[in-house]
Formats: sequence, structure tokens, C-alpha cells
Amino acid sequence: MDAASPTCLEIRGTWKIFGTKAERALELAAAGRSRVEILEATGCTIGVRDVSFDVARGETFVVMGLSGSGKSTLIRCIAQLTKVTEGVVRLDGQDLTAMNEDQLREVRRQKLSMVFQHFGLLPHRRVIDNVAYGLEVQGMAKAERHAAAKQVLEVVGLDGWGDHYPQQLSGGMQQRVGLARALAVDPEVLFFDEPFSALDPLIRRDMQDELMSLQQDMHRTIVFITHDFAEAIKLGDRIAVMKDGAVDQIGTAAELITSPATDYVKEFTKDVPKAKVLRARDVMHPANGAATSGSVHGDELIERILPTLLIDPTPVTVVDGAGTPIGIVDRAAVAAVLEA
Amino acid sequence: MTTESPPLTSGIDATQIKKYVPLGILVVGVVLLQLVYGSSVGFPARLDTLFSGPVDSMGEWIRDNRRSHALFTGFFNPLTDTIDWAITSLESLLLWLPWYVVLAVAFYLPFRTGSWKQGAIAAGVLLYTGLIGLWAPTMETLSLMFTAVFISVIIGVPLGIFGARRPRVERIMRPILDAMQTVPAFVYFLPLLGFFGVGAVNATVATVIFALPPVVRLTTLGIRQVPEQTIEASRVYGATKWQTTLKVEIPMALPTILTGLTQTIMLALGIVVLAALIGAGGLGENVFQSLSQRRTGRGIAAGLAIVAVAMVLERVWRSFATLDPSKRAPQRIRRAGLVAIGGATVVGRALGAVEFPKVWRLSAFDPIDNVVTWARDNLSWITRPFNDFFVGEIIVPVRRFLTDDLAWPVLIFVTAWLFWRVKGWRSAIFGAMAVATIGLIGMWELSINTLVQVMAATVISVAIAIPIGVWAGRKPRVEAALGPILDALQTVPSLVYIIPVVILFTVGVVPGLIASVLYAIVPGIRITALGIRQVPEESVEASRTFGATPRQTLVGVRVPLAAPTIMAAINQVIMMVLAMVIIAGFVGGGGLGFETIRALTRSLFGLGFEVGLALVLMAMILDRYTQAWGERLQPPPGA
Repeated sequence: MDAASPTCLEIRGTWKIFGTKAERALELAAAGRSRVEILEATGCTIGVRDVSFDVARGETFVVMGLSGSGKSTLIRCIAQLTKVTEGVVRLDGQDLTAMNEDQLREVRRQKLSMVFQHFGLLPHRRVIDNVAYGLEVQGMAKAERHAAAKQVLEVVGLDGWGDHYPQQLSGGMQQRVGLARALAVDPEVLFFDEPFSALDPLIRRDMQDELMSLQQDMHRTIVFITHDFAEAIKLGDRIAVMKDGAVDQIGTAAELITSPATDYVKEFTKDVPKAKVLRARDVMHPANGAATSGSVHGDELIERILPTLLIDPTPVTVVDGAGTPIGIVDRAAVAAVLEA
Repeated sequence: MTTESPPLTSGIDATQIKKYVPLGILVVGVVLLQLVYGSSVGFPARLDTLFSGPVDSMGEWIRDNRRSHALFTGFFNPLTDTIDWAITSLESLLLWLPWYVVLAVAFYLPFRTGSWKQGAIAAGVLLYTGLIGLWAPTMETLSLMFTAVFISVIIGVPLGIFGARRPRVERIMRPILDAMQTVPAFVYFLPLLGFFGVGAVNATVATVIFALPPVVRLTTLGIRQVPEQTIEASRVYGATKWQTTLKVEIPMALPTILTGLTQTIMLALGIVVLAALIGAGGLGENVFQSLSQRRTGRGIAAGLAIVAVAMVLERVWRSFATLDPSKRAPQRIRRAGLVAIGGATVVGRALGAVEFPKVWRLSAFDPIDNVVTWARDNLSWITRPFNDFFVGEIIVPVRRFLTDDLAWPVLIFVTAWLFWRVKGWRSAIFGAMAVATIGLIGMWELSINTLVQVMAATVISVAIAIPIGVWAGRKPRVEAALGPILDALQTVPSLVYIIPVVILFTVGVVPGLIASVLYAIVPGIRITALGIRQVPEESVEASRTFGATPRQTLVGVRVPLAAPTIMAAINQVIMMVLAMVIIAGFVGGGGLGFETIRALTRSLFGLGFEVGLALVLMAMILDRYTQAWGERLQPPPGA
């Protein structure tokens, strides 16, 4: 596989076990013992349990889970900040787990960057030097890296703040610095470790919107960690729901909502305003010759179709981009998903 | 219930009997040992020369081979020369520069990183040393201390980083660092004498050994405190380990490292005076002179100059580390300052205006002597009886009882019993062996002599420090008012305030005791106050909502919750008193302190080793016992 391949990241059978008797813990886990049983038998904690998934190039892949679910450990395994106990992590077809520290450093400098929950900024450096840090460790000359950093600061809306120190900025602005630092190295893959959960709700929403609009231009591969299901469905092309170190389900927001794999996943979807998330194509079913009135695009949100259906009980035809009918939406189908 | 009462009471009886078993063991043991060994007077000194012989011959060997053996010509002598070169060149530079240029530099360095106030203080206190005519010895002491702090930093910071990276290294280093601080500094003056000779280099090395631990500890702490995410951020962008250390860890740990440096400078301050004993010169010599001439005023003048040196050093060292870069002085002004300093140097040297002009002499402080003399002549009706009562009725009888009346095994047994009660039989064996060793090396009577004084000073210090500490802990205003007094007691070299005490009480046990108490109550008060202040407000409020009186709250909540910290305060008091043993010996306290000075001034290696070992053992016994006690007072750990 090469850089042009549609798959960017491959995670295969990845385990992370904390403790000295990892081997024994793996055996027990293979025998189907639970987290608690293994902890009692070996003193080892299972951080990540047999996780596999692919991330496509340009995709925003969200890993969602509550605290202790292993999502932070997982992202650190992928970024090789902690050693994977077993399994493979491939980036552009190269196995990161087999690399030595020098090779890994080269990959990091060329392809990776990360945004942290508590920003991870350097308080003794000015904003511009924080943003330029990744370029600095690569050995780029000062004038050059400052020029690059200045450009990125503009992108995240912080032009003119370069000479301040991070602690003189608000939380939201500090995370913009963290984002700028990540973008400055022109990475292939961006890791986000709960980047917005330390921010106020309003600022969090702004940052989410900003990230979405940036991503529309950048098309980077993003792995995004969050404990907030609403954030996950807002940002994620696909979402993996984690529990006790293992992945319960992977799918698009609509897939998780319309057909949750476990009760645990279902629990999260309960409070989701479904009319704001699901689209016509998610609830449509074959026409089977039923009479319809009017048509909507398959990507139209349910909340936009609702008024029509409320006024007129006749089903609506769903069409694709070319105007070809692909199914119908009726009151019963909409009511069923809204009720669930 | 009532029908089953007989077996119940018998159960209580059993536990009650069990409660008295340890006490029974103590009484039986003491009586038995006293009966068997009571006739023998003192410790059988059979092993008296076990150590002193070999150590003496080693000292001789060092003396004979210092000029020829490879260990010296290849290692110690070049090392000594290098340190000596550093100190003397710095000193000659400071004296070559016109005095106002030195003041300007003292102002410029802190000013450069943003604080003109700190610069003004540094220059101001240096100006004082010049005004009273102590410019040259001040520069001498400044050079010595600067070099010692410099060496501490270049050894301590890497060691601290190493310790932070490798927990195993830290585990090995910790007891060594503990020992370096528990052992009173003057104990290693003498062994160092063999390797580094007499003079400033020996004093510098002793200062480094004594003052190194805080730098190492706080560097490790500072590096550990760097948030994990910040280090991960550095790694994820492809920084090497070195890049992360230099660009992230050290800069972020700097505030904590600087706190360690401040402590180091404070510890170094304590050695400056003692350093004069081994010919290091400088301000310490002025203090000793004042003591032998009984000139209180001059002693205070020189003591304040030593404090000034510490203040300048602290500010200069801090200025090397820019804590808040946004406060730095603009480059234009910094450049102008450098040009002005350079210009003043050239002009000053050309005109020959270099030496500090004679403004005042030390005699400016002589009026203080009159006050002390007046007090001596008019207060003898208090001081005499106090002195006589204290020495004649307390110190001497207790000492006699311990050395002459009590059989020596009893003391070993009691020590073991005390350790057994607080920490189990392993500690008991340690205690017994430590006491026995003191006897075996022939230090029995001297050690008991010192022990009695140490215990007396400890009891008095604790009796003063804990009530004041509790008071200060509850009333922030009291603590604020006490602050400057405590600071002064801790920073002004103790030999300085011992001068008036010696004049008032004449030489003997009492001046040393008073000096020890004055020195030791400072950490006693501070740590006790801290412990009381740290009691969670919620616990206090809970007690009050149940209607407890302030007294009940104090006795039932505040003091028990602060007890482990108060025990730590007592531990510190004892360590401080032990650190003063040599000072006490110097003013007629006798005991191990006096022997130390005798060994130091006459280069008696064997005696020095024995005295040192006895002191170290005594320090270890008292330190471990009080620490074990403090551990027992901790509430049980949570699940």
C-alpha cells in the first residue's frame, strides 16, 4: 500500500495491557475472562482489548467512550506514545509498532501531530514559538519557521497574538494555539485527544464548527477522541463506541442511531435529537408503488421533511443527486425513529 | 447479656494484662541489667582504638603521599587546583573591578530579567558591606559561596534529571541525600581535610556536600511535575529525548529548581562561619574574631554582611533563569546598561578609583557593646542564679546519673525497647547496635554529655515552639508578625547572637544551649504552624456544629490532625540542635562539639572520625525514632 491508497490508518488486533504479567493476561483474555477477573489473577489492567478498524484518507474518525473506556489509551497506542502490547498499527502501509525510536521520530516529524485536552502548551515560550515547535525540532531555521507559524496563526484566527504567552490567552484561544501547532507541521494524520472538553459549552461549539470548516478545506485524516456523543455525531464521518477497552460498534451516526449493536450504544442514542441528525436516506424504504407527493433530496434532514409530512400524510419521494427516485419516506417511518 | 457477663470481664482482664506486658519487660529488663552490671563504671573501653588506629594511619599515609601518589597527583590535586583557581580568580576579578561597578553588576543582573526592585536590594545590601569596611572579606566570601553554589548546580541538576527519569536511581539516591543532610556539616570537614587540604577549597567541597540535596531533590520534583501531555506533545512532533529535556522539561521545572537553589544558598550560609575554622578566610573570620574579642557589635556587623552575601547570591542566581519572559527589560535598555558598566570599569581603572572609600569602620557598631556590658553588669542577679541552677541542678546531675549510676547495658536496652515499641524488633536491633557502637569506639561519656545537652535544648525548644506554632497557625496575623524575627534567627549566623549570650552568662553549657534553642525553634514554629493551618476547614466546622468549644476543637480536632506534622517539627528541632553541637562546643559546652574542634584544629584524624561517627549515630537514632513516631501518628491509609 502507498500514500495514494484510500486507507490511511489500519489498526489490527491491538491490545494494551498495563502490568508486568502481560503475557499471562493475554492468555486469560483469549480464554474469555473479564477485565476484573484478569486484574485479580495477574494484577494487570487491560487498557485496550483487541481493537481493529481502518481509517480512510481524509476521514474524520471519532472514538467515543466514557472515562475509563480506554479511548485515551487507544489514541496513544496509535500515535505510539505508549507501546502496543500486541497487534499492528499501520500508517500508509508501514507498521509503526515494528519501528525503532529513530524511524518513529522520522514518521512523527513528517506525518503526525496531536492536539491535547489540556493543550500541552509550553508556558515559557511565546505563542509563535509554541506553534513553531514541531518545525523547530525538525531543525528548520528560525525565520522560516516563524513565517510558517505566522501563516497558520492566521488560519486559526490568531493573527497578531504571536508575541503573547499562552497563559495570557483564554482557554479557547489556547486550544487554537494547540490546533495551529498541529497544523504547522502540515501533517498527514491529526490526533485529537478530547481537545474541546476543557472548554465552555459555547466556545466548544465554536471550535467544533471551526474544525469542521477547516476540515472541508484540508481533508486531513483525523482521529478524534471524545466522551461527548453529540460531539461525536457532529464531527465524525464514522464513530467507534468503546467500552471496557473494546469497541462495541463502529458506524456512521445514522447507523448507530437506527441500529445500535448493544444496549450500551442504544443508551447513548436515547437523548440524541434524531430529527437533527438523521436524513431522508436513513429512514426511507422502497416505494413499492405507493402514491407520493413531492420529493426531497436523500441528504435532507428529517427535521426539514417533518412540516411537509405533518401537513400532508402522503409519503414523499426521496431522490438522489441526479433526481432519480431511490425510495419514499412516510409518517410511520419517521415516527418509528423519533420514538426509539 | 447479663448472663454472659463473667466470661466477658475475664476477657477484659486478659487484654488489660496484655497491655502491661511491654511495660513489664522494660521494668524487669532495666532492674535485671542494673543489678548485674551496676558495679561496672562507664563503658568498657576495650575497642577504643578499633577505628582511631587505622584512621590515624590512613591520615598519615595521606600526609606522606599527597605529593607523590597518583590518587592525589592525578585526581585530588588537580581538582583542588581547579576549584581554588575558580575561587581566587573570581575574587581577584571582584576586587579588580571598581567597587561601584560591582554594585552596578549586582543591580544589573536582576534588573535585566525584569525586577529593578530585586536589583536595588542586591546592590543596597552590598553597599552596606562596603560602608562598614568589610568590602574585601565580603568579596572573598561571595566568591567562595558562588563557586560552591555553581558546583552544586552543575552536579545537582543533572543528578536530579537522572533521578526523575529513572525511579530506581532515585530510590538509591534518596537515602544518600537524606544522610548528607542528617549528618551535621562540620563532621565531614575533617575527612575532607585529607583530600583537599586546609582552606577555601575544603570549605567549598563541604558546602557542596551539605547544600547539594535540595537542588537534586527539587530538580527531580520539578521534572516530575511537568504535565504528561506537554511531554507527549513534544514527542509526537518528533522531538528527541535531548530536545524534550532542554526545550520542555528544564524550562518548565525551572521555578521548582530555583526553590531548591534558594535552600542551597541558605544551607551554604550556615557553613560560611564554620569554614573560617579550617582557614577559608572571609567574613567567617571576622565573626570568630568578634567572638574571641567579645565584640557584640562587630559580630553583628559581620553577621549581617554574611546575610547580605546570601541575599545577593540568591538574586543573581535567580536572574540567570528568566521565569517570566514577558517582564524582561527591553533590549535597548539592557544594552545601554552593559555599555555603562563597561565604560565605568575602564574609566574607574584609568583613574585608579577602585577601592571602596573609608566611610565608616566596624567601630560604628561598638555602641551595641555598651548595651551588652550594661546588661552583664546589671542583670547578673538573674543570669548567675539561672546559670548555676541550670548547670548544677539539672545538666550535671542527669549526666552523672546516666554515666556513673546507670549500668551501660541499661541504656542500650532502653533504646532498643523504645524502638521496639514504635517500629518493631528490626528497628530495636538497629537502635541497640547504634548505641553499642558509640560505646565501642570510646565515645560513651562524651556522647552522653552531648546527649544531655541536646535533650535539654530539645525539651526547651519544643516547649517554646509548639505553643507558639499552634498560636501562629491559627492566627495568620501572629504568623506574619513572627516572620521577620524567625527569618533573622535562621539567617544571621548563630555565632553572632551567641556573642552577647556568652558575655551575659560566661562560657559554659548555657550559651550553647540558648543558641541551640534560638536556632531550633524556628523550624519548630514554622512546621507546627503549617500543620495546624493544613487541618481541613471542614473538619473544624464539623466539630463546631456539634457545639465543641474552641478548646475542644483545638485538642480534639486540630492537634490530632496536625500531629504527624508536629512530630516532623520535633524531628527538625532535634536536627537543628544537633547542627549546633559544634557551636556549643566552641563556647564551653564540652562534649562531642569540643572534641570536634580539637580534632579539626590539630588534624587528629582518628579522633575526628570517632567523634563524627558518634554524632552521626546519635543523629540517626534520634532522626529514625522521631520519624517512626510520626509515622505512627498518621491516620491509616485508605483502601
